[in-house]
Amino acid sequence: MAANRSDFHEGAPAKRQKTSNGNTDPRNNPYLQHMYPDEGTEKTSNGYNTPPRRMNSLPGSGPLARFQRHKTTAALARSAEDGKTNPFTGQPFSERYFSILQTRRDLPVHSQRDEFLQMYQKCQILVFVGETGSGKTTQIPQFVLYDDLPQLNRKLVACTQPRRVAAMSVAQRVAQEMDVKMGEEVGYSIRFEDMTSQKTILKYMTDGMLLREAMNDHDLSRYSTIILDEAHERTLATDILMGLLKEVVVRRPDLKLIIMSATLDAQKFQRYFNDAPLLAVPGRTHPVEIFYTPEPERDYVEAALRTVLQIHATEPEGDILLFLTGEEEIEDAVRKISLEADEMVREADAGLMKVYPLYGTLPPAQQQKIFEKAPGPRKAGGRPGRKCIVSTNIAETSLTIDGIVYVVDPGFSKQKVYNPRIRVESLLVSPISKASAQQRAGRAGRTRPGKCFRLYTEGAFKKELIEQTYPEVLRSNLSSTVLELKKLGIDDLVHFDLMDPPAPETLMRALEELNYLACLDDDGELTHLGRLASEFPLDPALAVMLISSPEFYCSNEILSLTALLSVPQIFVRPATNRKRADEMKNLFAHPDGDHLTLLNVYHAFKGDAAQQNPRQWCHDHFLSLRALQSADNVRLQLKRIMEREELELMSTPFEDKKYYENIRRALVSGFFMQVAKKEANGKTYTTVKDNQTVLLHPSTVLGQDSEWVVYNEFVLTTKNYVRTVTGVRGEWLLDIAPNYYDISTFQKGEVKTALIRTQERMQRRQKMKGGSR
Amino acid sequence: MALPSPFLSPPSKPPNPEPAKPEEQEEEEEDDYLSMTFTDTTPLSSFSAARKKESLTQSLKRKQRESEVRAHPKSRRELAEEEARKREEALATSTLDPQSKGFKMMAKLGYKAGRALGKPGEANGDGGGGGGGGGGSGLLEPVAVEMREGRAGIGADAEKKRKFREEMEARVEAEKRVKVEEGEFRERRRLEREERRREGLIRGAQAVAERLDEEEEGTGEDGGPGESAREVVGGKKRTTKPLSKINVLWRGAVKQRELAERDKRMRYDLHQSLSRLPTYEDPDEDQEDRVALGKKDTEEVDRDLDGEDDELNEFEALDSVEKLQKLVQYLRERWHYCFWCKYRYGDSGMDGCPGIAEDDHD
Repeated sequence: MAANRSDFHEGAPAKRQKTSNGNTDPRNNPYLQHMYPDEGTEKTSNGYNTPPRRMNSLPGSGPLARFQRHKTTAALARSAEDGKTNPFTGQPFSERYFSILQTRRDLPVHSQRDEFLQMYQKCQILVFVGETGSGKTTQIPQFVLYDDLPQLNRKLVACTQPRRVAAMSVAQRVAQEMDVKMGEEVGYSIRFEDMTSQKTILKYMTDGMLLREAMNDHDLSRYSTIILDEAHERTLATDILMGLLKEVVVRRPDLKLIIMSATLDAQKFQRYFNDAPLLAVPGRTHPVEIFYTPEPERDYVEAALRTVLQIHATEPEGDILLFLTGEEEIEDAVRKISLEADEMVREADAGLMKVYPLYGTLPPAQQQKIFEKAPGPRKAGGRPGRKCIVSTNIAETSLTIDGIVYVVDPGFSKQKVYNPRIRVESLLVSPISKASAQQRAGRAGRTRPGKCFRLYTEGAFKKELIEQTYPEVLRSNLSSTVLELKKLGIDDLVHFDLMDPPAPETLMRALEELNYLACLDDDGELTHLGRLASEFPLDPALAVMLISSPEFYCSNEILSLTALLSVPQIFVRPATNRKRADEMKNLFAHPDGDHLTLLNVYHAFKGDAAQQNPRQWCHDHFLSLRALQSADNVRLQLKRIMEREELELMSTPFEDKKYYENIRRALVSGFFMQVAKKEANGKTYTTVKDNQTVLLHPSTVLGQDSEWVVYNEFVLTTKNYVRTVTGVRGEWLLDIAPNYYDISTFQKGEVKTALIRTQERMQRRQKMKGGSR
Repeated sequence: MALPSPFLSPPSKPPNPEPAKPEEQEEEEEDDYLSMTFTDTTPLSSFSAARKKESLTQSLKRKQRESEVRAHPKSRRELAEEEARKREEALATSTLDPQSKGFKMMAKLGYKAGRALGKPGEANGDGGGGGGGGGGSGLLEPVAVEMREGRAGIGADAEKKRKFREEMEARVEAEKRVKVEEGEFRERRRLEREERRREGLIRGAQAVAERLDEEEEGTGEDGGPGESAREVVGGKKRTTKPLSKINVLWRGAVKQRELAERDKRMRYDLHQSLSRLPTYEDPDEDQEDRVALGKKDTEEVDRDLDGEDDELNEFEALDSVEKLQKLVQYLRERWHYCFWCKYRYGDSGMDGCPGIAEDDHD
């Protein structure tokens, strides 16, 4: 491990190491640390095989002898950090530890360690504001460790992160900084992966994981301090956690709470937490000059390309970051910019320009390319080259790229907004908020003074952009959250003190859905099924489907399917080779629909032929190995929960005619509220109850010959689409979900007529059967 | 099935040793298929006793309706419009129905219609992004779903709306103007048409007057020596009467005709004149040569044609309506001829002519 990291140099701040040394090794990027898990890390599966070893739990011995809980100072901590022995493991510090220590002490937060400690010791809740690059995510938890000494009381410090990747990476980095083994004193916990042991005293985790823990431990009694990091991102789980912790701190005066945020909105957090004190650490940022266009742009993509090329032609050295909205738009822009830039090299003797895309679904190997150094001048003394990164708003907060001097901001992003009125998840390009625009601009000032080109007028910035991005809780389907809150013991959902309470209709829909799923009774109380469903880290519909699957003799298959629906898209469809990818997908196609096709893929993937060389096999079949492996892992975790809850795992024999039919029936048991019926025109479908005209997503393998379909999601992009669909039969709907398909509650229309006819048919058949007996 | 079967076998666990149930289901399912086709085609009333079933006429009507729908498939655009319309309608309609299950569950927790969620009393959040408002601290309505079309930049929509408004205003203005102009144009065209027609009529009347005048000269004062000689040039009658002697009413027409003729003659002469201009005076040429060369002495007439004629100018300056009126008047008075009846009456009473104006002759 040490050998691998020998490229760490002293003196440079950790996060900025790469550029300042001209070293682009992504191993040093704390956000990518999870990609090198093999280095120096051994998985300790829940720490079962490691005996508890709390060598430093004895005060009065070791380097922490003079430490008194909540009475330490920065100087005291410094002396322990400078000592020979690691106070948390009892092992001598490694050489590398000291080299990292140097860089840590250069971080902006370090100069305010005393100030922080005083406030931390004095108050129960503290709002900490530090810009990106201040070192708060890696350092504050360590400051807390040296003062809170959780090991003395067999407690832990938790630090939440909105993203899995960040939780893993930061944990890895902090384990190095503390010179401990990842998964021992420092660990992480994310959905479907627990990398902690009994020795763990600092746990990085996703906010969602802490929420799940709270479901079984309402007071979060394992923790002595909880740090909510990146609170300004306002994820659904962070918002719920804040509401919850606001109550917990009252019940547990010994619990300390730190809300960490970027500068935006700090007062709002203070106000929400009963005027908690604030500590601000300046980030290491440079001024950014902002330019607006004199006129609104007619085509923001075209304007963006023009601006990038203009910067390349006229501005001095420095990399460019362009924000666009989605994969297709980005890939297209990358292609066009590359072509134009090459032409500029040939014709105008411009410097070289490397253009990289960046978006969430990009394979990690390609994502890493953005950290490559910009190309140098073509010949000695020539114009320097630069790189241009075309990104979604990933680069706005979650990824830090050094060397960016120019930001081009057209002012749009793709946002997911759930609407309870027609139960649609829209994924539409919409204007960003003022806060977002400021964040984007700030990206230009990380290395040196920069420039931000906003492709809108100053008037439009003031008038058309909202102040803050809507927090996730206002634009999500809350059925999962409501189930969690119920499990958390929050009964009065109407008056639950959220920072931004959602619209009443959103809560109403969630309650209704949970009631139809029989997770809540008519009084809003958790049912047995609801309690069981909340054990699964899944959407209620998926959980209910999984729990009911033994009744349909196909729990093995539904388990696989649930796992497959919980991971990113498994089919790869590169723009350059779509035809071939579709042909490959057709190999697995099942005529009855996409769910069964997914299963076919999974079964094939688990087959011997594929397992001999999964990487090659996936590559050949245009499948994502990562997604399939992740599905495998999710399946394993869910299987454990099923075994724990004593849910039987079984399959209908494959030779049985009912093999696929049983699976389709089980689908209905969870997704009966996501059903559409074919319209008389034979092309479009109507969603049941909400009566929306929808199209089957073009990716479906299902021919348009199924009268009824269940769908996994209803999304609004350019059109109303239902995605991942499988054909079912009307009889099953009436049979499996009679409450929802109570015909008297339906509006007059095609759907109702069809249901009545189905019902009549069923009754006739029953009569005939009765008569023949 | 596209895959070799080993791929498809379930991954784990031996098959469920409970074959009885699935088989039973299967039987039921087969029944199902049978009865489906059976009952769908022939309505058997015996099976539908329990529930009112659609009658034969009803089913015929329904089938007709369905086939009509199928026979007139909606275009893709119509479908898309319908889809968008339904969506916008539903998105704009609140679903807070006090009778609904979800509402009742919220009501049990003290929710009252029209209120926001959240901690009662104080408003702690400031709207999380422009939202907020209402009694509590939360949103009253879900975050709106807005579809943008095209790639117009931020502010371009507002700008476009403003421009559109301006354009519309400008267009309304322009339309008004165009309408006025259009009216004028039509009127002008009408007037031009009438003018052309009147000029035609004038020419006709002049011809009639000239003919009548010549006829009278030829018949009534026949034998008047030298007064009016007749030549036949190119089969055409031609007066040699000096222009000034011709009635001013049709003098213009005669003048035009003679000018045209001279023009023609000069062109002809030019062809015949051995590349000399017809007006070229050859000093070696004497009178005989001239005759031999076919040169005529046209000088007097020419002078007459080129000279200023105040009387004619005065007449020509008149408005066409007046000119026509004068001609018609002249024909009536002098020849008892009605230009509109195209008939020459025997006496000044002009019995049978409906009147002096053209309108009287409809």
